[in-house]
Amino acid sequence: MNYLYFLYIEFLQKHNIPQLFGDITFYFIPFCIIAAALLVVVIVLVLVERKFLGFFTQRKGPNRVGWWGLLQTIADALKLLCKENITPDKADKFLFNLAPILVFVPMFAALGVIPYSSEFTFINTSTNVILYLILAAFPVLSIFLAGWASNNKYSLFGAARCIAQVLSYELPMTFVILSVAVLASSLNLTEITLAQTSKYGAFGWFALPCILGFVIMFICMLAELNRCPFDLPEAESELICGYNTEYSGMRFAIFYLSEYAMMFANAMFLAILFLGGYLSPFGKYFFSAGPFVYFEQAFWLFLKAAVLIFIMIWIRAALPRLAIYDLLKFSWVILLPLSIINLFAAVLIKFGGAIWAA
Amino acid sequence: MDLNKFREMFQGCELAGNKILIKSRMHDVIKFVTENYPYDILKEITAIHNPDGRIELIYNLYSTVDEETLLISILLDGNEAESVSDIFDSARADENEIFDLFGVKFSGNDDLKRLYMPEDWEGHPLRKDYVQDDTRLAWNDDKNNV
Amino acid sequence: MMTKTTFKLNLGPQHPSTHGVLRLLLELDGEKIISCEPDVGYLHRGMEKMAEQMSYIQYLPTVDRIDYLAGFFYSELLCRIVENAMEVELPDKVRAIRVMLLELNRISSHLLWVGAFLMDLGAVSPFFYAFREREMILRYFEKISGQRMMYNYFVFGGVRHDIGFLEDVEEIISILPGKIDDYEKIITENPIFIRRTVEKGILQKEMALNNGITGVNLRASGVDFDLRFEDSLYRGFDIKTIVLDGKDSFARYKARILEMRESIKIVAQALEYLKKSGSLEQRLINPINLKLPEGDYFADIEAPRGTASCFVRSYGDKNPYRLKWRTGSYYSVNLLRKLLAGEYLNDAIAIAGSLDIILPEVDK
Repeated sequence: MNYLYFLYIEFLQKHNIPQLFGDITFYFIPFCIIAAALLVVVIVLVLVERKFLGFFTQRKGPNRVGWWGLLQTIADALKLLCKENITPDKADKFLFNLAPILVFVPMFAALGVIPYSSEFTFINTSTNVILYLILAAFPVLSIFLAGWASNNKYSLFGAARCIAQVLSYELPMTFVILSVAVLASSLNLTEITLAQTSKYGAFGWFALPCILGFVIMFICMLAELNRCPFDLPEAESELICGYNTEYSGMRFAIFYLSEYAMMFANAMFLAILFLGGYLSPFGKYFFSAGPFVYFEQAFWLFLKAAVLIFIMIWIRAALPRLAIYDLLKFSWVILLPLSIINLFAAVLIKFGGAIWAA
Repeated sequence: MDLNKFREMFQGCELAGNKILIKSRMHDVIKFVTENYPYDILKEITAIHNPDGRIELIYNLYSTVDEETLLISILLDGNEAESVSDIFDSARADENEIFDLFGVKFSGNDDLKRLYMPEDWEGHPLRKDYVQDDTRLAWNDDKNNV
Repeated sequence: MMTKTTFKLNLGPQHPSTHGVLRLLLELDGEKIISCEPDVGYLHRGMEKMAEQMSYIQYLPTVDRIDYLAGFFYSELLCRIVENAMEVELPDKVRAIRVMLLELNRISSHLLWVGAFLMDLGAVSPFFYAFREREMILRYFEKISGQRMMYNYFVFGGVRHDIGFLEDVEEIISILPGKIDDYEKIITENPIFIRRTVEKGILQKEMALNNGITGVNLRASGVDFDLRFEDSLYRGFDIKTIVLDGKDSFARYKARILEMRESIKIVAQALEYLKKSGSLEQRLINPINLKLPEGDYFADIEAPRGTASCFVRSYGDKNPYRLKWRTGSYYSVNLLRKLLAGEYLNDAIAIAGSLDIILPEVDK
């Protein structure tokens, strides 16, 4: 962050603008970057998912708009933008309109918490893991709001399922994150990343000592993102479209796109916790210094996230949906005890030597 | 099956073609048949509005054990018949269809309702005395404006 | 004080997983279904009334529409009624053609069911895989009859024209078993699929019989009942029927998969005969001024969704005095009333899907 800050201040000083102005405006820059990057990422993600799902099911996927279907998502977004926003007559209009906004804002903030490279962390607090968890769980509230305000039984079902699901999967997830925090002795994402540094590259990642935790966390993430096989809140064959049944036009697009943005953010979060974040898997970077190394670090992070997202798409193509009671049972009976075991294992790995010596 | 025993129990039944024609007491006949012979499926109930104005019901019973079909037929005097839905659950569906299309009321079957036709439709289309009036199908804005 | 309240949910008629326009009026307590009331009739075309005003040959093209996924079965039924009435014996080659097409049609219908059922359970891919294989069969049907779904290929006394493109059938039956193995690999052994189907929607034997359930659903409940054995059309064919004792959704799935495999064998037998046979010699019934002799005629067949039968009463006119269809799905829909009570909503969708209900067949 400092690097970018100094660049900015230097630039301002060249033009004789006081530093106070720079201090105030500096924090708008990251959000502009995030907003721009987010749109691109989401548009690419939607296309990639549709393309891969097409390949998995022996279809071609979108291939009409632009070369290789590259402009398909933009065309879809434009179409949704032009469509009429319909608010149901009996809906709670204020909450109905508020919900899409509330799903978007925390997601932006959540992306600011992620350390993209050793210098690019827009919001860096000592406990930004917790901050991320809060922001990542926030869309659930707006989903509930959307389901409640729609005045539609299917939406309400979707919302209720979503709450039940996220509540029960948040718990094992927290335990797993605790074990990572124990291993890294920190709740700061940058420090967690750096704690995985080793000269053997990928062998220092927490995914190795905590492989159980990594799998649990991945499953919980699928549940929190409402991805297949945990896509009950928007189970198409049961609840039509779940919580966003009544949404149309741009409001629907916001729900739809935020889902993918959340997917990207969570994949990066998982990569930071277990796959060494922006660290190179080979132990050293290709670029030794300068701004290029930051880009390389961001590249590794995005690559790791992309691999995780690919697995998510793969799972979506392969698995049927769980039943609601199986889903809850799976979390409380299997994942929760396993995550506690994982926590103990992490404590043993970290402090085992010290305990043994004592 | 042994028709003589059948004749003793139910007066006036006769063999017509491949089916047994009975005069009345359909419920008792079906009950008797299912209790004494291994007929386990009521495949269908066919209703026919005969040219003489009477409605004929043909019960198609089938036995999965010895793979035999038994047709029992009854000529109704009015638009009333006995329901056999307490013996075969599938009769409930058939009787509902017959009620909708022929207007036969089955005593003992409580949930008869219009099935294919709209709730307020007059007449029963498969009856021979049904007058086909296409003007009723025309879209009426006053009536259908929901 | 807590009072228990229930609410009504309208599932359908425009719902993605009701396979057409079925409307289920559910009474729910949370996600638990207390009662279910199926409401049909959104696709009613008055097939029986139509028949009374049409001559037999006019009516023949419409009967494919009773079940658009298995059209051959219904044209076969009407042809059989006329053939029985006119006392026409079908030549062996015609029988072989009809058996081959019927069984291919059964396979295509079951394939679609596999895809749609998995779609109900939330898996997308099997739907496309199943459609890929079904497409081969539909292409073949298109080649011989000119139509993908509404074939109008069987005529009174025979078939419209001689069969051809037998190499296509050969390809289909050589590819299909491997593809069905693939389905089994991704579906049958999937733990989530097993969790969602085993012991779900148990249909006891007595309940099935009492509710008039026939076909695969009945055989998956342990009743050995297959009309193909007494069918004169299938005379000389080696048929094996699949009877499973599982009684649940999984058994119904498994029975259909196994039945597809058996149907492939029947198709192979018919194909072998057709490859050796000479040109088609059939004595068609002249459909112009066709009048069935006075009397009642009855024909039934083992359709993919249970026993389908046709009853015709003729008074010697050009058109039937009364024509009645019996279709398997109609009884399956009415069974939902009992089968869904006490289930959770997402299980209910899976159970209803496992019964293979198709709405045009229900509404006729």
